[in-house]
This record gives sequence, C-alpha cells and structure tokens, in this order.
Amino acid sequence: MSKNIEEKEPLFSAKNMASLTNPFNKNNPVLVQILGICSALAVTVQLKPAVVMALSVTVVTAFSNLIMSLMRNSIPARIRIIVQLVVIATLVILVDQFLKAFVYDVSVQLSVYVGLIITNCIIMGRVEAFALANKPWPSLLDGIGNGLGYGMILVIIGFVRELFGSGCLWGYKVIPEWCYEHGYVNNGLMLFPPMALILVGFIIWIQRSRNKDLQEK
Amino acid sequence: MNKNSNTYIIIYTVVMVVLVAVLLSVTALSLQPLQKENELGAKKTAILEAMGAQEADYASVVKAYAVDAEGNTIEGVTADDALQMLFGLKGAFDAGTYPVFENVENGYVVVPLTGKGLWDDIWGYIALDKDKNTIKGIVLDHAGETPGLGAEIKTDKFEGSFVGKTIYEGSDLVSIEIVKGGAPEGAPHAIDALSGATKTVQGVQAMLKTCLSYYDAFFKSKVAPAEEVETECNTENTESNE
Repeated sequence: MSKNIEEKEPLFSAKNMASLTNPFNKNNPVLVQILGICSALAVTVQLKPAVVMALSVTVVTAFSNLIMSLMRNSIPARIRIIVQLVVIATLVILVDQFLKAFVYDVSVQLSVYVGLIITNCIIMGRVEAFALANKPWPSLLDGIGNGLGYGMILVIIGFVRELFGSGCLWGYKVIPEWCYEHGYVNNGLMLFPPMALILVGFIIWIQRSRNKDLQEK
Repeated sequence: MNKNSNTYIIIYTVVMVVLVAVLLSVTALSLQPLQKENELGAKKTAILEAMGAQEADYASVVKAYAVDAEGNTIEGVTADDALQMLFGLKGAFDAGTYPVFENVENGYVVVPLTGKGLWDDIWGYIALDKDKNTIKGIVLDHAGETPGLGAEIKTDKFEGSFVGKTIYEGSDLVSIEIVKGGAPEGAPHAIDALSGATKTVQGVQAMLKTCLSYYDAFFKSKVAPAEEVETECNTENTESNE
C-alpha cells in the first residue's frame, strides 16, 4: 500500500488484485478485523435479507472508497471525518431509496438496518485506512473486496441460520416433510442473534486454524 | 489556496452540502411514484389478508368506498380515493370521511385502524362479517414497538385470538377488551393480553374503540335485512361456538 507510484501500473496488477482478494481471506473485515459484527447478527435470520444487505454494503463501500479517493487531495484535514460521513450517509440514503422502490418487501424486512449501514465500521475504516491514501482504482477494488468479504460471512451465516432455524432457503422449504415426521425439529436457537455470534466464532476458529500467521502468540 | 484556511473549509462544505442536497432530492422525487406504488401494494395485501383472502385479486374482490359519520356512502369518492385515504388516515378520520373495503364475494367489510402504541404509531385492518359484528380477521402492524414484547401484536397468534369475537352487545358498541391476566373462557368481547406489552396492548384496545366508533352508524345502518341477519348470525355463531 505504498503512496507514491510513479510509473503507470496495469489495472489488474498483483497489488491491485491483492486489495480485491485479501478481504476474502487473511484480511477479512468480519473475521480478522472484527468489524461490522452488529449487522452480521441482525440481518442473518434468513438468506435473502443477508444477500441484499451484503450487496448494499458492497455498493456503499465501493463508492465511498472511490469518491473519497477522488476527493482525497482536496479535503481539508480538519473536516475530514465530517466529509466522510456526508459521503457515506448520502450513499446509504440512495441505497435505501432504491431498495424501497425496487425490492420493497426486503426493505421492510431490513427496516432500520439499511440506515445503520452508515455506522458500519467497515466503511469508514476502509475510507480512513485505504481510500484517503490511494488512487481511485485500487480504492474501488479495495471497497468491493471488503464489501464482498463482509457479505460472504453474512451469506454463510444466513445460510446456516435459515436452513437449521426454519428448514428453508431463500424462503423455500428444503428440509423434506418426512424428516419432520421422523422427529426432526428446527433449531429455535438459530433464530436468535446469539447463535449468529456463535457461528461467527466457529468461522473465526476455522479460519485461524488454517492460517497459522493469524494466530496471536 | 491553503486547504486549512477557514474560507476554504466554508466554501468546501457549502458546495458539498448543496451538491448532496440536489442529488438526494432528485433521486427521492424520481423514485417516489415507484415507492408509493409499493406501499399501496402492501396496503392492498394487508386488506386482503384481514379478509382471509390472500390469494384473491384485489381489483376483482374488493369494493372500496367511504362513508360519513351517519353511515351514508359519500358520493364522488372513488375506490382509488378510498385507498389514498390510508396514507393519511388520521386526517381522513378528522375530516369525517371513513374508508370501507368490502369483499364483494362474501360481504365482509374491512375498516382501517390507526393509533399509538408505546413508542410509535400502530395501525391495522379489521374484517367484520356481514352482520357487522363478528370479527373475521385482523391485521396489526407497528412502526417501532419493542421486539419480543409490543411487537408481538403482529403475530398470527395474537391476531388469531380476535377471530370470532363480537364488537356489539345488543346495540352498544363495546369493541374488544384486552384483558391482562387472561380473558374469561368464552367471553364474547374480550381476548388475552400479551405479557410484557401492557402499554402497546392498551394502545391496540384504544385504537379499536376509537376507530370502530367512527363506523358505529355505518355498521348499524348497513346490516342486511332482518331475517337474513338472524339466520346469518345464527349459523355464524354456531360455527364459532364449535
């Protein structure tokens, strides 16, 4: 993440690709930076809102990174945070308006959590840590990467919670009726937020046991 | 120009705020028709759900009109106007116009409800049988009641407990009483309260009382001819007693 790149580098150079793909693995915002946990608990009871939330956050991180990176040389340092907030809040309101217009039922389900994307630490974290010091293109990639890295966790948790909590996926019954007749019951605990936290814990555990360099001494 | 001078900062913020304001208002205005359409769809679904006719097509099943305080149909109010009243229901009630949604197939009438819960607005739709007395269904919703407590008013369990209850005792509108600690077995005008949601439930009770009273004259005037009501009532009652 050096600041001064003099010669033109290719669009998909190794370094740019790294900022796109790192968030999926060694630098995942949820698993490694432990950011954005709040919404990971709140919107993952079902798969559909989790996917919409993931996409919404990806749009916001991508564009807030891009816009802040374009503005980075003109922003007065003293009001830097306020400018970031205005840009992020604007993007979130835009996303909210589009959801209300095109996927109304999902926006009702996500209710306040769309507005709360503003407070998702991942977004401001990436703007502060990356976009303000990098060119627009790598910043956009970093934003997309982090949004999707966050979304990946949301989708995994949403998948597990909906499947075992209500026997459905995307609202359709997937666990066949004969399972219930043979004594299978849905796990009610899956529908409660603490279970999401436990699942995040499991995923962190798996990830750290596979990546030795993430383990604290 | 010095990026940290006050002039630069002030100009910067003003330009930024104006740009953002223009962008947001243009988007909000251009998406408004679509959003309104969606809200209207949600209201139609709720009305059908109250009637127990989720699968039905709104346009072919529901006849919408508005009545005045004397229970007379107001001339010149179209079905669309009646639906639009739902967007400012409090104002419509204050103006003395009361929208009614009638199921043309079985004669159920749905009237809208609006009130206050503990934290924010609550609203709903209640369906009455054609005797204008027996509750056939209710849909309740809220803007911000506590999840797990007040928010439980929108669960099927609570909404289901209204079904079969009656709102008239003789010719007095008694509405529905929501009893803390449990309604007596077989009480015709009472249902069980929700534990931990006293204030919200009181809001629901007050909302029912107030909103149904607006329609009192309409309910009495529109009752079908006497003999027919008698038989209808009896069959309905035996059914619900079963």
